[in-house]
Amino acid sequence: MRIKKKHQAGAAKNFITRTQAVKKLQLSLADFRRICIFKGIYPRAPRSAKKANKGSTAPTTFYYTKDIQYLLHEPVIQKFRDHKIFARKLSRALGRGDVSDAKRLDENRPRYKLDRIVKERYPTFLDAVRDLDDSLSMLFLFAAMPASDKISARVTEEAEKLCNQWMAYVARERLLRKVFVSIKGVYYEAEVKGQEVVWLVPFRFPQNVPADVDFRIMLTFLEFYNTLLQFVLYKLYADAGLVYPPKIDSAKEQGVGGISAYVMESKRDKELSLQASTVATAITESEMESRAQTISTVLSKFTDDAAGDAVDNDQDDDEEEATENLDQFTALPSTDTAISDIIPQPEETSPEDAARNLLSPFTLFIGREVPLEIVEFAIISLGGAVVSESALDAYLNVDTDAVPDAGEIDFDFDARQREVDALLKNVTHQVCDRPALASRVPGRIYVQPQWIFDSLNRGRLVPVDDYGVGATLPPHLSPWGDGAGYDPEAMGEEEEVEGSEDEDEEVEGDEGDEEDVDIEEDKQEEEEEEEGEEDEALQHQRELESEAKGIMYSSATSKKRKRAGEKPKKSAAEKQAEEEKELRKIMMTNKQKKLYNQMQYGIQKKDNRRDTLKNKRRKLEKNKQHKKRVL
Amino acid sequence: MAKRKIVRRKSAADPPATGQGNGNHRGSKLELVQQRAPQRATEEDEDNEDGYIDDEAEEAEEDEEDELEDESDLGDYASEDDEDDHFEGLIDGAISDSESEGEAGDDATEGDDGEDDGDEETAMFGEDNEDVDQEETAEVITNSVSDDDEEDEYLSKYSAPSEAESLSSISSGEDDIRVAYHTTGADGKPRPIYHEIDPHYSSDDSDLEDTNTIGNVPLSAYDEYPHIGYDINGKRIMRPATGSALDSLLDSIEVPTGWTGLIDKESGADLKLTQEELELVKKIQLGENAGDVNPYEDTIEWFSSKTEVTPLSAAPEPKRRFVPSKHEAKRIMKIVKAIREGRIVPNKPKVGPEQDQPVYDLWADDLPEQQPHIMQIPAPKMAKPTNDESYNPPAEYLPSEEEKDAWNKTDPVDREKDYLPRKFSSLRTVPRYENFIRERFERSLDLYLAPRVRKNKLNIDPDSLLPKLPSPQDLRPFPIKCSVTYRGHKGRVRAISIDPSGLWLATGADDGTVRIWEVLTGREVWTTTLDDDEAVQSVEWNPLKGCGILAASAGERVFLCLPPIFDDETETMGQELLAAGWGYAAQPAPTDDINKEPLCKWTKPSTKLGNQGVDVVIVCRKTVKQIAWHRRGDYFTSVSPEGANMAVLVHQISKHNSQSPFRKSKGIIQRALFHPFKPMLYVATQRYVRIYDLSTQSLTKALQPGARWLSSFDIHPQGDNVVTGSYDKRVTWHDLDLSTKPYRTLRYHARAVRDVRFHTRLPLFCSASDDGHINVFHGTVYDDLLKNPLLVPLKVLKGHSVVQSLGVLKVTWHPKEAWLFSAGADGTAKLWTS
Repeated sequence: MRIKKKHQAGAAKNFITRTQAVKKLQLSLADFRRICIFKGIYPRAPRSAKKANKGSTAPTTFYYTKDIQYLLHEPVIQKFRDHKIFARKLSRALGRGDVSDAKRLDENRPRYKLDRIVKERYPTFLDAVRDLDDSLSMLFLFAAMPASDKISARVTEEAEKLCNQWMAYVARERLLRKVFVSIKGVYYEAEVKGQEVVWLVPFRFPQNVPADVDFRIMLTFLEFYNTLLQFVLYKLYADAGLVYPPKIDSAKEQGVGGISAYVMESKRDKELSLQASTVATAITESEMESRAQTISTVLSKFTDDAAGDAVDNDQDDDEEEATENLDQFTALPSTDTAISDIIPQPEETSPEDAARNLLSPFTLFIGREVPLEIVEFAIISLGGAVVSESALDAYLNVDTDAVPDAGEIDFDFDARQREVDALLKNVTHQVCDRPALASRVPGRIYVQPQWIFDSLNRGRLVPVDDYGVGATLPPHLSPWGDGAGYDPEAMGEEEEVEGSEDEDEEVEGDEGDEEDVDIEEDKQEEEEEEEGEEDEALQHQRELESEAKGIMYSSATSKKRKRAGEKPKKSAAEKQAEEEKELRKIMMTNKQKKLYNQMQYGIQKKDNRRDTLKNKRRKLEKNKQHKKRVL
Repeated sequence: MAKRKIVRRKSAADPPATGQGNGNHRGSKLELVQQRAPQRATEEDEDNEDGYIDDEAEEAEEDEEDELEDESDLGDYASEDDEDDHFEGLIDGAISDSESEGEAGDDATEGDDGEDDGDEETAMFGEDNEDVDQEETAEVITNSVSDDDEEDEYLSKYSAPSEAESLSSISSGEDDIRVAYHTTGADGKPRPIYHEIDPHYSSDDSDLEDTNTIGNVPLSAYDEYPHIGYDINGKRIMRPATGSALDSLLDSIEVPTGWTGLIDKESGADLKLTQEELELVKKIQLGENAGDVNPYEDTIEWFSSKTEVTPLSAAPEPKRRFVPSKHEAKRIMKIVKAIREGRIVPNKPKVGPEQDQPVYDLWADDLPEQQPHIMQIPAPKMAKPTNDESYNPPAEYLPSEEEKDAWNKTDPVDREKDYLPRKFSSLRTVPRYENFIRERFERSLDLYLAPRVRKNKLNIDPDSLLPKLPSPQDLRPFPIKCSVTYRGHKGRVRAISIDPSGLWLATGADDGTVRIWEVLTGREVWTTTLDDDEAVQSVEWNPLKGCGILAASAGERVFLCLPPIFDDETETMGQELLAAGWGYAAQPAPTDDINKEPLCKWTKPSTKLGNQGVDVVIVCRKTVKQIAWHRRGDYFTSVSPEGANMAVLVHQISKHNSQSPFRKSKGIIQRALFHPFKPMLYVATQRYVRIYDLSTQSLTKALQPGARWLSSFDIHPQGDNVVTGSYDKRVTWHDLDLSTKPYRTLRYHARAVRDVRFHTRLPLFCSASDDGHINVFHGTVYDDLLKNPLLVPLKVLKGHSVVQSLGVLKVTWHPKEAWLFSAGADGTAKLWTS
């Protein structure tokens, strides 16, 4: 038998340190970082760092050896090396003042593509969709960032474009499931291809850019995410029968921008439009003349955009209904001999469908103080139509400054005004976020933006009463619930139930109460033993004490009785069970005991948090009631 | 011939001496020369013309001074000054190169000095002289002797010291052919006037190297001597004068022109270079042409567009000049083909970074989803936001002032959440989140920098970890409650024992009394004070039924009592048993050494004690802490932990005899018990429980409970299991058939365990601790050897209060019922019944 050498197999072979990896790949650390980000290679924590590090216990970063081995033949690494050479050549050319050479070099600079890496990292499309969370969050962040010396304008534009394409897709396909406005930004959850995708969008304000953030790292990530999202969007659009990249309506883009500028065109339409394109080109000239007309069509798209799309879709659907409708599998009347199970079939109009089209009958007018990009996205995702005040403003005032000819403006203005009026007729709801409104249009329902979010999260239209103009809003709860398992709403109901009893008295001695009980429990045993006269003496003592505190004799006795009545709550059986449990713990092994205690710690922590929240809530309710009473 | 040669050499060797004095220091030059001149005179016997030589030297020096002042004159050095000979090889070439220049310069300087042509001629001649045949040289010198005044200069340079020799050569009478005529010099001597020199090649002696005559001996060999070698005559060649410290200081202050700081290797004199020489050296160092070469000469267009009258080549124009190139056509066609095939795209649009890379369906051939590799660990997703992150959370989530403070005070790394919940009245009031970019950045760092590890999350009900045990309700009876409390002792009750009938409970306490109680009523029936000072450590009833003997220990004494609470029959039986041994005690054991002090003394009690019911007093050497009876009631052991090798004693009542089973000390003995039915003795030390076979008198086993300090142990009635209690809170169960290590180690008491006890009949045992609790266990031992004992905790009996951090000190079971008696530090004993 061969003698086994130490550190020749197992963890020592499976893991290599970062320094070793970098040496093996003959890369600079920066290039190694980049390739790690692109390829999704991450350090590992070996079960025994000492074994992996060949006996040394120095803190080290380990990589899985096969990951690094796999990198050896990575074409992108070759491109990195090429780039190094290119940079050298370029700097030399520039140093010599050889501009034409430098230009030629720059034109032929080595470029790498990441599509193959995307495919490697996500062999199936679902894998890619599953891992979109971070990509989207990063892209949305860069979409909201200003271009600077570190971040080029192209990068932010690209990010914004992709984000809008994504939102346009999600909105059109009605995939948005949850919206949560947090203090950090807005969380969205969409269900794409059956996968939950959650992303966070910052509020549209200038971002605070910390000095110590290394944007090179962020930009490397962004580069990969950019590629990933492009391909994912292509596939999503293709699967939905849409043209990718979607056309951008330049007029709207210049107006308010956002997703409404993206014209989602189905492939069949495009074919039709291609046929008609010859005609269209003929028309364009005339269109140029009557600009008002074109803009009116644009405007109509403002309103009909999503809804209109939806309508288009509906029409399409109507056409396709015959084919798309599911066949009904009707179970044969069961005979006695053969009983067949019935598999539940998806219904045509499921409650989910209803939830997705919550706002489809409505047209919502969005005030200019409301953050459009959040609300618009949510509304369109729910099938509602959007008329935004800021868009109308832009439309009505768009050319007044640019064109000096007054007569024409007047003409235009009137025409536009008429169009706008026609649009406004359809408005059913007005989303506004002001403390008060000067005038209200009759027939409209005035709501705050949170109404839309809460309706979306609950899957039903919540009553608008609480969300009126200037009203104190009900709390906006996370659709993902609370980590500690505390449910404020259930708590409210509980309170109500409890409130029906005489709550006041119970709450009064809340803090002292438990301690009292503890003491009593301790003493109880002794009481039982010694019984009789001692008990009496004790009671007398207590009475004296309570008298000193200034508690009425009657109330004290009633409380005592009540407590006596409470006691059986914890029945003898329960108590015994608890005691038995304690006894059984004695027989646990050390390992089990540790594990058990750890678990209990976690449970205890959660419970504590829940309890503190509950107590806080109770106190707040009490204060509120007290105030009411005072008033 | 040899002589002539020497002359030449000497003349070459000498001048450096003058040269050095001249070059080094101008101020002290004259003195130096004057100093040296007499020296020379004394050394050179034949030199009798001292004054002349001095003059010559002076003149020569003055002349050289002039020459030095004219620094541009390199030729002087080459031609006249022998220092040139000691230049490094590097310079040699340069010197020979610039020879012609130097000579040209020479003329000029000479002219400047106002010396006549004849001088120059002689000088030139002299140079020639050295180069030509040696005979000729000699001739020249002989002639020079008769030269006039102007010739002196030459002589002083080349042959001043060898005057006599040259004179002798004159006497030989040889006449030079080149001498045109002789005139009379200023000193009245004849002076030859030479013919015009024909300047042919042989007259040039510039390549000749003048070296001194010390030969190929390094100068360092003479470091310790005043001289630097010897001449042909064995005369010393003196070391050229070197400057004093003051001179060198002066030098350092005023650096003379041409000073290099180098020392001539061969002559040891300072090496001086002129500006030109330095430039030359510099040129050579830079690898430039050291000669007089113009690097920027005009080019001559040999091959030009101009048709010359006389062309270089008369060949006719070749055909290829008129026929199109096939090779070029081939190359062009290659490109054309590439363009046609689309490999080369002319005017290709620039692929800049602005240009999007083509997007296509990457997952066109979508593979079926596969289980990811086991080593692949996907990054954990970001935690979902909870209610408290809402812009409008329920009021209970908002932090109080203390919570805010606590959050602000904690280090950002240690914060449980990186934000404080806030409430905004409406959406429009929500500001930006300051840490948005940082959080995203940190997430990015986590994604590529954080080591990942797969952790299995246990998703089980914690209660499932609790062992499955039969319910205590099914294992009844066991003591549940305290039914009788025996009060009366003033001090800690340390000892407790129940008599074999189960009716009388004996207790001993720190107040030195032993009391006997009626079990059921708690009535004290008998009390006696054994010792006023010492505490009663142990009380044990004799297990023999119907004898009523009670053993108690206080201090060093063990008392055997017969409490007067039994009927006469019992009493008499007891008295008989105790009295039987007196006879034995009278006669000492024959084997015992008479001189040796007995282990214990069996004595009769004092009358006071006797009246109280004490029959025998055994006085031991050390404090007896524990007593244990053998099951037959004849023997009992006493343990006095301080007793060293006599810690354990075995006493026999029937013979009033005590013996020590151990010869050597086994450590501090805690407790000793007899096996329930075998002739075995179990002895507990601090760490181990040793089992001795009394019949073979050998150690059979040593149990290792793993505790630091055992307090007590007890043997299961069947003898195969031992339970131990220790001061470090542990209770261990040993299965003797299994191992010497514990089968179970239990740790549930908060304080030290004081006592453990098995029930003699029922499968019960208990442990008493300083935390005031008594834990009652069910412990079934199966006959089947493969089945492990079943231990079930049954009940925690709480009732004894803790006094001075002591709780329950002793427990004992009722012989028949599932009743438990406990003695506490609170001065009471309790009965716990089911």
